[in-house]
Amino acid sequence: MTHARGYDLVAMTTAQSELRTVTLTIDGTAVTTHENTTIWEAARDAGIEIPVLCHDERYDPVGVCRVCAVDVGQRTLAAACIRTVEEGMKVTTATEQVEAQRKMLVRLLMADQPTPADDPKETTTGDNELLSLAREYDAIEHGLPIGDARPLDSSNPVIETHHDACILCDRCVRACDDIQGNDVIGRTGKGYETRIAFDLDLPMGESSCVSCGECVAACPTGALVNKPITAPLRPRKDLKQVDTVCPYCGVGCALTYHVDEQINAIVFAEGRDQPASQGRLCVKGRYGWDYAMSPQRLTRPLIRREEHYPKGPLSADVRGEGRGRRKAGGVVDYDEVMPAFREASWDEALDLVGERLRAIRDEHGADALAGFGSAKCSNEEAFLFQKLVRAGFGTNNVDHCTRLCHASSVAAMLEGIGSAAVTTTYGDIVNADVAILAGSNTTANHPVASSFFTQARRRGTKIIVVDPRQERIADHADIFCQVKPGTDVAFFNGVLHAIIELGLVDAEYVATRTSGFDELESVVAAYPPERAAQISDIDADTIRTIARLWGEAHAGVIYWGMGMSQHTTGTDNCRCLIALCAITGNIGKPGTGLHPLRGQNNVQGASDSGLIPMMYPDYQPVDDPAASARFEQAWGRPLSPVPGLTVTEIIGAALTGSVKGMYALGENPFLSDPNINKVRKGLANLEFLVVQDIFLTETAEFADVVLPASSYMEKLGTFTNTDRRVQLGQPVLEPPGDARLDFELIQEISNRVGLPMAYESPVEVFEELVSLGESMTGLTYDNLGGTGKLYPNPDPESSDGTVVLFDDGFPTDDGRARIVAAEWLPAKELPDDEFPFVLNTGRLLEHWHTGSMTRRSYALDAIAPEAHVFISPEDAARLGVENDDFVCLRSRRGSIEVRARLSHRETPGNVFMPFHFREAAANVLTIDEIDPHGKIPEFKFCAVSVEPVDSAER
Amino acid sequence: MAGREARAGRFPGPSLIPALHAIQRQQGWLPHDALVELSRETRRPLYEIQGLVSFYPHFRTSGPPPAIEVGVCRDLACWLRDDFVEPEAVASHYEGDADASVRPVSCLGRCDVAPAAVVNGEPVTVARLGEAVEAARAGALAPAAAQRPDRTWPTDPYAGADETAHRYTVLRSALAGAPDPDAAIEELKASNLRGMGGAGFPTGLKWGLVRAEAGAPKYVICNADESEPGTFKDRQILAELPHLVLEGMLIGMIAVGAEQGWVFIRHEYGPEEAIIRAEIAQLEEAGLLGNDALGGGRSLSLDVFVSPGGYILGEETALIECMEGHRGEPRNKPPFPGTHGLWGKPTLMNSVETFAAVPAILSRGSSWWCEQGAGDADGLKFFAVSGHVAEPGVYCVPLGTPLGELIELAGGVADGCRLGAVQPGGASSNFLGAANLDVALDFDGVAAAGSMLGSGAVVVMNEDTDLLAAATNVLGFFRQESCGKCVPCRVGSKKAETILIDLLAGGGGTADVDQRIAELEEALRLTSICGLGQVALGPVMSVARFDQAQSRDI
Repeated sequence: MTHARGYDLVAMTTAQSELRTVTLTIDGTAVTTHENTTIWEAARDAGIEIPVLCHDERYDPVGVCRVCAVDVGQRTLAAACIRTVEEGMKVTTATEQVEAQRKMLVRLLMADQPTPADDPKETTTGDNELLSLAREYDAIEHGLPIGDARPLDSSNPVIETHHDACILCDRCVRACDDIQGNDVIGRTGKGYETRIAFDLDLPMGESSCVSCGECVAACPTGALVNKPITAPLRPRKDLKQVDTVCPYCGVGCALTYHVDEQINAIVFAEGRDQPASQGRLCVKGRYGWDYAMSPQRLTRPLIRREEHYPKGPLSADVRGEGRGRRKAGGVVDYDEVMPAFREASWDEALDLVGERLRAIRDEHGADALAGFGSAKCSNEEAFLFQKLVRAGFGTNNVDHCTRLCHASSVAAMLEGIGSAAVTTTYGDIVNADVAILAGSNTTANHPVASSFFTQARRRGTKIIVVDPRQERIADHADIFCQVKPGTDVAFFNGVLHAIIELGLVDAEYVATRTSGFDELESVVAAYPPERAAQISDIDADTIRTIARLWGEAHAGVIYWGMGMSQHTTGTDNCRCLIALCAITGNIGKPGTGLHPLRGQNNVQGASDSGLIPMMYPDYQPVDDPAASARFEQAWGRPLSPVPGLTVTEIIGAALTGSVKGMYALGENPFLSDPNINKVRKGLANLEFLVVQDIFLTETAEFADVVLPASSYMEKLGTFTNTDRRVQLGQPVLEPPGDARLDFELIQEISNRVGLPMAYESPVEVFEELVSLGESMTGLTYDNLGGTGKLYPNPDPESSDGTVVLFDDGFPTDDGRARIVAAEWLPAKELPDDEFPFVLNTGRLLEHWHTGSMTRRSYALDAIAPEAHVFISPEDAARLGVENDDFVCLRSRRGSIEVRARLSHRETPGNVFMPFHFREAAANVLTIDEIDPHGKIPEFKFCAVSVEPVDSAER
Repeated sequence: MAGREARAGRFPGPSLIPALHAIQRQQGWLPHDALVELSRETRRPLYEIQGLVSFYPHFRTSGPPPAIEVGVCRDLACWLRDDFVEPEAVASHYEGDADASVRPVSCLGRCDVAPAAVVNGEPVTVARLGEAVEAARAGALAPAAAQRPDRTWPTDPYAGADETAHRYTVLRSALAGAPDPDAAIEELKASNLRGMGGAGFPTGLKWGLVRAEAGAPKYVICNADESEPGTFKDRQILAELPHLVLEGMLIGMIAVGAEQGWVFIRHEYGPEEAIIRAEIAQLEEAGLLGNDALGGGRSLSLDVFVSPGGYILGEETALIECMEGHRGEPRNKPPFPGTHGLWGKPTLMNSVETFAAVPAILSRGSSWWCEQGAGDADGLKFFAVSGHVAEPGVYCVPLGTPLGELIELAGGVADGCRLGAVQPGGASSNFLGAANLDVALDFDGVAAAGSMLGSGAVVVMNEDTDLLAAATNVLGFFRQESCGKCVPCRVGSKKAETILIDLLAGGGGTADVDQRIAELEEALRLTSICGLGQVALGPVMSVARFDQAQSRDI
């Protein structure tokens, strides 16, 4: 050792001991606190403020800015943010000497800062913490040599990195890594030349940064700032704050929009504290809200012109002629589609809708009508919509996109545990010893939930990721199982076999809380790990390791996504997961349970509200006479006891002509349903289609009437997230033009088909919804408050709600979890010589479903403007395909052209494509085979060929 | 964990530094694609890799190395020499030479043969640089050998015996149970041995604290990363007394209950590293290491960890961060390594000289050791004397020897010049004027004179030395070697250096050092995380306070 290290004898000799309380004095006041408390926390609790720059209570301390230096009677000052209290310590927080050092530290930082007049934060949101400290310490004029200019990095579409304003506080580093688990930002270089850097010191926009903006939220200076999206950034006090919930995924993050009322525009968004999301947001939530202000919003009712009959697709993309080429000047060219419609008055349009639907019902019977609701709509809208279809149209042909995401999970869970909702929350992973993430591209599809998963791992939870794709979440796995596509049942049966073989079954739980174990045992007996390995490509040792880890864990939890559900064996896949939990006693206590990560912001709520063909609200079967009686009484109409058709079945029925009229609210089946060439024919074949949406969607090209609706940003309603958290969404903006609230439009149509509705506010609808079921009993708009409530909730006035369900029994007939064994079946369409690749479809982080919102968001579109097919470098090399080359993908159902992206995350023989892109619609290729129980299509598996497209056309 | 920093232990999994070394060995440098592949294969973030390769000077990311890579030291002991050549001048000499590339480097620990340079990793003198370059060009650059003159040292109880069989008697005895760990620690306490790396923490107390820790496993690390300008005494101890270093470590491992020890050695000490490795091999051969050392049922294992470069790694927590695979940034303390060391486990860390003193103390007794000191001081001390002396080198003298005596031992001020000033304890220590020749070189004596014993590096400056320029050179070293973690050191050292360079360029002297330097010195001293920042401006301020006129009168 070569230089003085500054040992402090006193500190060195303080022995580690059991946690205890300690008493110290801070500025002469005796303070008693917990021994692990930092001086800064102890002072704060005693009402003494110590300035900080690098510290923020959201992060673990690093003690690098030293501004919080205090005198503890030692040779040097101590950083209060990180130094823990000690018995008898005498702390003085603001001596002349201490203040002099703080001033110098601020002067040092100011010496390398832009001037306040040029400061990127001072001139926008005006909340530069360093500048405010500099003013307090009179350190704006620092009197020190000015540093060399450091660069500006504006390569990211929404974030600017002003290195000259960076003070290396490492808040962004911790925000990116410790909070969001994105692991992009670190320090590069050494000494005075140190900078923050992205990946291998790439420009931010070229790095693996996912633009979640957590770093911007963390930055105390002008180093990381948002770029304006709709209007110049301004201080919060000049804007209106609306506390609401993110419109995108089922995670349901709480946020605040800062709104310029003069121009009816959101200026920026910030995460808001809430027990689950804890202020975090992803790129969609933080930057993807400007779709609501798109000039392509529909503002007048539209009626199809006579000359555009017979109906058919209007745009080249929807005709299937897009060839993967993005349109210049926008995703959708309204000049191509709008001439087919004329503007109409609301009365004319609504009267036409009522008349045509009524006519079809009267001529062909109620079951000739169908309704597609949307998981993007509120509980109230979902409830009204299904009420309209059931009591107004007289049919149960009502469904929504849950059919396309977790219908098989719902089927398996209703069968197995009598409930389709999650048994625990995503945040409960913190209590788990081990978590299985199966078929979930969590970082893309539930980004904020994934941040809790990665954080839990750092605190000791073992993470097992099971997925055919090595997505980013796999980088955080303790064990990553890259299973062969379509072999999940075999793999999990192997794990179940090994758990039994290793004697790790929770016999008491099985005996007292479950049924069906014996059958499971006999089925999985045929899946020794060696056989499971042959089928799934996961070696037998790994299968046994997982079995041991899972079987020995005190608490294990399973989160899964559509990699499990979107198979013809989706229900079987989920049955295996239920069995894994059931035989090891992993349901009903903290850190255990089953959690299908719900996709849409309100897919849980829409299902809860009865937007499914076989269930009334709160999962009361339409063929249950008692349930029917309840709803018939409530709605004053006889109701059909026949379960209705599902989304996929309705399209089939449209094709055969048995369904003739349809009302689509916020749903865009043209792009979201499998086998688009069939969907196109089905939609064109409808006698009457009314589409109620905020944009002229691909589906609307087939409409007779298009009703301009309200976006999420414009309405009041409740939304239920994946955790069962019911939250209030608040109106943020005024609807554009003549656009109207969906809540009103459903009632207008209902009134015109003979079911009078006169709800004045969503509050009344919510009360009716709650009163007709049991799950949400007790919840009211008032007690939901700013952060919502979990259901069930026996005491919503004072409790956040129940996190862990079924600690006692299950809502099944016998109160037991029913274990249902599954035999492995191969996917419906296996690769062969002609179609040698397996196509897997899914989503991108930046885009949502059919892209109607996200592709009209500046940020999201700028980050991910084009469709790609992801292919392994090995396959690409074999095919002679390079990054961004166009390739032709062909299946038995159709073909598309799309750019290739070489990706190490795919295994050879498998390709992946997102389905958001109309010009390269993945669902042209997908197979419309469905799971027999959940009726969910096999989006995750079909056979395709991949061929390079003539390079001249690249 | 209480006091555990947010970033410490951030990355699960083993250190990536060995993998980076492996890529660089294979390819000569670290191409971008290789780093991306490493990230992918290890499933570790790219930024972690970037943080490492940009922090450690050993790693090269800018392309394959030139055929001849020359490093020229620019630090004080070299800078003082008449034949010092600025690295920039050497660089311009080789400008246009397609094979050669020259860059300035920090102190190479060869101050006794200053000015020093390095060619393709082999230490050379600037005087023979041209020769070495041509040898390298011809592919005939001979590996440098450690200096091992035929001499004995007073701390070596085995002087004259050159075989393992005749050495390590204290260790053999300790393995057999005598002294037992508590007795050994008591003996060290009684010897008043203090850490010789710079901070002077009582060694026996430190061993006792680590022994008392309940955590397991425990580790022992020998800090052989001396890198401070003027400091090279550990280099000679490693070269000439490797058996004492390792014996001291192994006794320490037995005392605290550790099974694994590491010698953390700076990469510039290639010749000495070879000697240590050979010594470890001999210990293994003799059965003194292994799962059952000497059949006593105790597992002892030693390994060498070669520093990827940077003075800051001499700071014990930075060293630990490096060994864990992180950027070598010092941790906030407490906790100290004794309780939360390597991988969060109790870790005993001493410097080379400290460990090397242990066998003599335990074999000859603490009272013998105490008697070796001069005046009130106890024991022996190695000093590296450099700068303007006739015979720069390593000297082992009684602790408490007067400064003047040591300088005389080193041949006195060179070229018949009068003494100007001395840095008595390495670059961190305040300059002492020529009036201080009587100062006793022990912890208290030097402290009383306003400086510190520090690393035992005595840098002598003659009366013609521009002391402000010398102190600014020292500051430049610290600025260069600052890790950048905390604000005062990262920014403050740079601002101060800029002010001083401007001042010197304008012909200014100590009288022109303004209040800002004093304020910066105080801020750095009081608020920096580690010793580097705390002392960076001390020498400058000591010079500013200097009354040179008075010193000349002595």
